This record gives sequence, C-alpha cells and structure tokens, in this order.
Amino acid sequence: MRILLAEDDLLLGDGLRAGLRQLGFQVDWVRDGEAADRELRAQPYAAAVLDLGLPLKDGLDVLASVRRAGATLPVLVLTARDAVPDRIRGLDGGADDYVVKPVDLHELAARLRALVRRAHGQPQERLSAQDVTLDPAARSVLQAGVPVVLSAREFDLLQALMLNAGRVLSREQLEQHLYSWGQEVDSNAVEVHVHHLRRKLGPGLIQTVRGVGYLLARDGPAP
Amino acid sequence: MTARPRSLQGRLLVMVLGTVVTVWALTVTATWLDVRHELGELLDGHLAQAAALLVVQQGHEVAEGDHDLDAPTLHRYAPKVAFQVFHEGRLALRSANAPVQPMIKHGATFPAGFSSVLINGAEWRVFAAQGGESDIQVFVGEQVDSRAAILRAVLRSTLWPMLLALPLLSLAAWWSVSRGLAPLRWLGRVLAARQPHALQAVQVDNAPAEMVPVLDALNSLFSRIGALMESERRFTADAAHELRTPIAAIRAQAQVALGEADDAARQHALQATLAGCDRATRLVEQLLTLSRLEADDRSTLAPLALDALARRVVAELAPQAIAKRQTIEVNAAVACAVRCDATLAAVLVRNLVDNAIRYSPPSARVHVGVQPDPSGTRLTVEDSGPALAPVDLQRLGERFFRVIGSGEGGSGLGWSIVRRIAAVHGAAIVIGRSAALGGLSVTVTWRAEPVSNGPPSTHGG
Repeated sequence: MRILLAEDDLLLGDGLRAGLRQLGFQVDWVRDGEAADRELRAQPYAAAVLDLGLPLKDGLDVLASVRRAGATLPVLVLTARDAVPDRIRGLDGGADDYVVKPVDLHELAARLRALVRRAHGQPQERLSAQDVTLDPAARSVLQAGVPVVLSAREFDLLQALMLNAGRVLSREQLEQHLYSWGQEVDSNAVEVHVHHLRRKLGPGLIQTVRGVGYLLARDGPAP
Repeated sequence: MTARPRSLQGRLLVMVLGTVVTVWALTVTATWLDVRHELGELLDGHLAQAAALLVVQQGHEVAEGDHDLDAPTLHRYAPKVAFQVFHEGRLALRSANAPVQPMIKHGATFPAGFSSVLINGAEWRVFAAQGGESDIQVFVGEQVDSRAAILRAVLRSTLWPMLLALPLLSLAAWWSVSRGLAPLRWLGRVLAARQPHALQAVQVDNAPAEMVPVLDALNSLFSRIGALMESERRFTADAAHELRTPIAAIRAQAQVALGEADDAARQHALQATLAGCDRATRLVEQLLTLSRLEADDRSTLAPLALDALARRVVAELAPQAIAKRQTIEVNAAVACAVRCDATLAAVLVRNLVDNAIRYSPPSARVHVGVQPDPSGTRLTVEDSGPALAPVDLQRLGERFFRVIGSGEGGSGLGWSIVRRIAAVHGAAIVIGRSAALGGLSVTVTWRAEPVSNGPPSTHGG
C-alpha cells in the first residue's frame, strides 16, 4: 500500500517512514506543503499522512487544494495541535482522521489500514474473494483456511487487486501501488508477481484483460 | 479623627458640616454687629428726641417749685428709662426712678451729648441737652443692660432655628454623601466578588462621570493583564506543542529500532532517537531560559569584559564548527567593558554564535567581533551562510519560528531569547547581510555609559 507522508521534521519524518515501511507500507516522504500538494495530485496514493505545520503551504491548505482538485484518497492529519477547534477545523477541512503527536506507529498503521479499507467500501479489516482471505494487519493470506506464504510484493499486489475487486487495474496502476520513489521497477515485474500469485493461489483468481490489465472478480462463483 | 484609614464619607461630612457651621457663625456675628449698631442708633435717637421735647416743654411752662413728676410706669421697660430737668441749676422735674443729683456731675461746662455713667452700680446711657439760654438742663438716661437684653433676644431668635436645623442638616448631609458614594461601594463589591481570572471590563455605562476615569484606567489595566495572561497561556500551549514533535520523533524512532531486524537500520534509528532526545533537551533548556527571563527582568548589571566573554563562548562552541569544517574566528583586540549581567550576556553571545554555526553550511566562515563604537560597544556575529530573506528577517524572533528549509532542528527560541536579553540590557540589535562574508550579520550595540570602576549597582532593565 503506497502512502504519502508530509512531515517537515527530519527526525520524525525519517522515523515514520522507516516505521511504516516495517509495517508493510510503501512510503513517499515530502517535507513541505507544495511538494505534498504536487505529489498528491500526480500520484495515486492509497492514503496520506499530513502534518499541519508544513513550510511553504499549510497542511490544511494542501488538504483543501487537493480536495478541490477532486482527490478522494483518505487523509490522516498528524499534528501537534490538539485543541478541539483545531480538530474540528481539520476534519471539516477534508481530513478523514485526526491524530495528535506523538503517536504509536502500530496505531498509525492500523488507522491508515482502516481508512484505506473504508475508502474502498470494505467494512471489514479482512478482505476476501472466493476462498482467499487477506489480513492487511497481519499481512497474512489464507486459502480455504490454509496459510499461503507470499512475498511482500505479491501480498501488496493481491491487496491492491482485492481492494479494487471488480475493477480492471492497469500494469502502471499496479506498479504505482507496489513501488515508492526510487525503487527500481522491472518492466515485467507485475507479470512476474501475477504469475507467482496464480501459481500459489490457483489460476482462476486473477484474470487478465488482454491489452488493459488485471482483474480480480468480485465475490461470486469462479468461472 | 484618629489615624484609621481615612473615610471619604467622614471627610465629606466634616467638610460640609464645617462649612455650614462656619457660614452660620459668620452670619450670626454679622447680624449681631448690625443689630447692635442699629439698635444703638435708634435708642440714642429716642433719648435725644425725648431730651429735646423736655427742653422745649420746660421753656414754655416752667414748673414752680421742685416736685417730682408723677409719671406713671406705662411699660415694663419704663423703670429702665429716667429723665431729669434742671431749671437754673435746680431740679425742676424728674422721673420717679431718677436720682436727685444730676446724672452727670459737671462743673462750669455742660457735657452736652451722649455719655455713659454709673448710677447706683448700673451702667446708664445718658443724653444731656440745654435750653437756648442755658437755664434749662435736661438729662435723659437709659440703662445699658436693657439694650443688651434686646440684643440677646435678637441673637436667640436667630440662633434657635439654626441649632434646631443642625442635627437635621447633619442627617441629610450624611444620607446624601452616603448615597453619592454608593457607586464606590458598588465597585468595591463588584471587584471583591470577582474570580481571580475574571478580567472582563467593568461596565462604565451607569457610573458617575467622576468614576469614569478610574474605571477606564481599571479596565485598561484589566485588558493589559488579560493580554499578558493570554500571551503566557499561548506560550505554554505553544511550548507544549513544540515539545510534541521531538517526542513523537523519539517514539517513532524507538519503535523503528525495536522492530528493525537489519543492524545498520537499527543503529540509524537508535542514533536518531538520541538526536531526538538532544533536541528535546535543548528545547526544554531554551524554554526554561526564556521563562526565567520573562519571570524576572531584574538582573544584576555589572561591568564585564565583552571581548573575553566572546573568546570564551567561541572556545566552547568551536568543536561544533570544526565538526562542520567551518572556520570560526574572534576579532576582539581591544578590551571592551559593558554593563551587563554575566550569565545573560553569555547566553546571548552563545545563542548568536550557535545560530551562525547551526544555520551555516559546512565549510562556511563565522566571524565574531567586539569593537568599541562611537555609540557604545558593538558585538558582531557574521557568517558566510545563506542570508535570510526579508520576510524571514521580519519573522525572526517570533517564538518557534524556524527558517524553512534550513534543515536544522533548532527550537526557534534562540532569537526570542537574544531579543529579550538585549532588551534587559537596553542594547540595540541590527540584523542584516554581512558585507564581508555575504551571510547573516547580527550586531548588538550596548549604549556607551560610564562604566569606569564605579561600584556595581543593581537596577531593573
């Protein structure tokens, strides 16, 4: 799951990026409001963690600006301002969650997962399709109750497809879900991961729409 | 009145009643003098008139033989009036209460006119008159105490109503003054009933005009205290918020270290945790310095060698600069004594030099100079780092303002501290671009004042 982290404090930003990576997120880190604005418009992030006291452009302004531009991604505001009016302003300004520093990394990760899940209309933490169940928090996958061992990329790919069940995702879209900045992407990386997933979970789960991309069918009988 | 807290009501009462009594006393005195004078004139006139009548009458029908006149006592004052008529030296006519001898003993010359004489122990006012041929002599006298009795009666009738009115007047004055002072008592009650933090303005609408200046001053004081408290509250809140970020960083880095399998990454996270602790410590120290400065602006000012202080501070901070491969040098050849608080001056110089090192890139140059100046003594800290944009120069000194993109984790409090200390010392700060090095230049000028070996004195900043 790829998220944008906007935090101007070097130590905190570094720590959050490392911590969220440990917990299975792909993290892009920007340190000022204008960069945050630019990246949020340009990239399909699953969610964003936004500090309010950002240089160049205040976090709330960034939020208003990307919301005006039509971005619907879940945004978690992470800030030192804890007064109730601040929280209200943040939530009314388009934030989906408001967390006051300092925050536990695991809680932050759980909140991000919940935001992403809800944004995709999934009320439950676990995602399921056919006989496959995916637990984003535990990063585990079960097929017919039996654990299946997946690599981190395979897991992210499966999660992206399951979150968008019923929709065709292009190879580029999937790449953007899988890799943060500066990570080298092989031209056939997505094909390779899909191939591995099919080998581990059976060929019927992920379908290829030739010339367009891949699709994981919404719950229903396998074809 | 004793030396108790002086009561405004008591003073007003004493003043009002005192004035009334004084005016009355003056009025009574004036009346008494006037009445006495007029009464004297009138009665003297009557004596003279009576004497003239007797002279004229005696001239026409000179009674033969000596006999008393059986003048009836017609009035209660009559016994106090007496007359004698002498014809050619012999008593021709007299009232019953008149003596046989002339009321005024006289020789050859006749004492015409008014005179006062003692007859049988009583004082009489006597008018003496002669006929045309000097053979008729008339004395008309009147006892003086009758005049005094009239005067006393007049005085009594004037004084009685006044004495009766005085208690009533006192009561009325007490009531009026008490009513007039009611707004003061109301203000006292309102203020006494207030909570310590209730600093809203006292309503001026219904207050009497005399109290409006007091209320205005009071309200203005309230609003100043309110602003001060608000700024303190905001500062505390800001400080708490500002501490949250380093703590959040420490927590995040510590959690990363806990969860990290890779040794190098764990080392990095642990180093970052320590750096976060250092930053939080520094922030706390700066906050404490600032709060001490704000709580107590009375510092002990004494002559201090600024050049030596600059050298000492630079010696302390040089390792930081060397670690960044920066060149730092002090130019303080002339001994310069300034009047300052030794601890605060060290904090000021340290903050300036630390800022220069912190916000200048590696390999930059930092110059610290102390020179005598026509207007006093000048401390200059210059660097070859990036100079501040004008908009940043303006915001410098706002608490927790950090220069964007400087990449340094400063607290942003250094400038507030420097400015506060300069204010305590009455020193002027000028910020600009360094002509020599191209970066930021900060000049602190202590005003010239006689710092020759006088005894150190204490005074507030």
